Amino acid sequence: METTHRSVVDAQDTFTMAREQALIEAAQAGDKQAYRQLYDRYVGRVHALSYRLTADQGLAEDATQEVFIQLWRKLDNYNAKSKFSTWLHSVTANITVSYMRKQRGWVHRMFNIEGSAAEHHTAEGSAGDVDLEAYIVRLPERARMVFVLHAIEGYRHEEIANMLNMAVGSSKAQFHRAKHLLKEWMGYTDE
Amino acid sequence: MSKFEQQLNQQLHDLAKEKAPQRDLWRGIELGIEHQHDTGTVPQNRHRRLAAVAASVALVVSLSWYGIQQTSVPATDHPTGQALVKALSNQHEQQKQALLVQYTDAPAMTENWEAQLAELDEAASAIKAALKEDPNNGALLRMLQQVHQQQITLIERVHAPQWQQI
Repeated sequence: METTHRSVVDAQDTFTMAREQALIEAAQAGDKQAYRQLYDRYVGRVHALSYRLTADQGLAEDATQEVFIQLWRKLDNYNAKSKFSTWLHSVTANITVSYMRKQRGWVHRMFNIEGSAAEHHTAEGSAGDVDLEAYIVRLPERARMVFVLHAIEGYRHEEIANMLNMAVGSSKAQFHRAKHLLKEWMGYTDE
Repeated sequence: MSKFEQQLNQQLHDLAKEKAPQRDLWRGIELGIEHQHDTGTVPQNRHRRLAAVAASVALVVSLSWYGIQQTSVPATDHPTGQALVKALSNQHEQQKQALLVQYTDAPAMTENWEAQLAELDEAASAIKAALKEDPNNGALLRMLQQVHQQQITLIERVHAPQWQQI
């Protein structure tokens, strides 16, 4: 029974992957309808990552558009050796970071803003009642980006340092800072 | 592993994989893709003065927009986005007309530059029509600015003295 269920699941996975590969190849050949289907399939994931990185609904939506506009040009670079979703997450992270730099750079330099002032908010949660998504977007910008890339997306600190143009030690320090704040906000003050 | 680490790992595992955007992004993406195809035929700006003017305009508009967003509490975002589109269009039209007047008697380097200018006008109109439905769409606003910049570049380039084109 268990074996039969697994076979059905495997067959479904294979079919889904084959369908996806067909869409990718059609889009690579210039088929916009196929690209639209890929967009429908992945816009939620791309937007989720962009939102966690930017912590701003409007900026995340703009970045998501930018990802899919640039992705159309970059599709030829995808060679099916890795999973499409993995490659797409990597493209999304890079384009969103670059987009944030372009959009916010001058504002930050001019007003010396380091992300949100959320760090100074008092903890509202308790150890049993946690909305991690809400806490993540309250983190200061650099700590949030490092946390999202390392803890959620699985990047190594060396890769993050390269992506965010910071020292490896800074990436580790920002991750520690993020965890410290989350711990406090989640009500774990005594451990 | 501490209780915090355990809970954090569990929460990370449970995080939603997807988050749907609140507005339709496809239209802007479609226009952006089409714009990528179009830009290959339009000359690129390399004129320092124009770049400085464009940067100044962009800075003023961005500062104004940023200021408006910081100080106002809009019930809906539409007036801000529409005001920006209007400001961008007015500024561009003034700059374009000033250049056209300046070059009234100057010989043009190509014959079909006015047709190219009209094509860019059509592109700007299409983007503005899309912006009417989605006034705060950043990608569309950037596209509009790019089309405006291409018009200015076109006018400058076809009328520039020959020694500047070498």
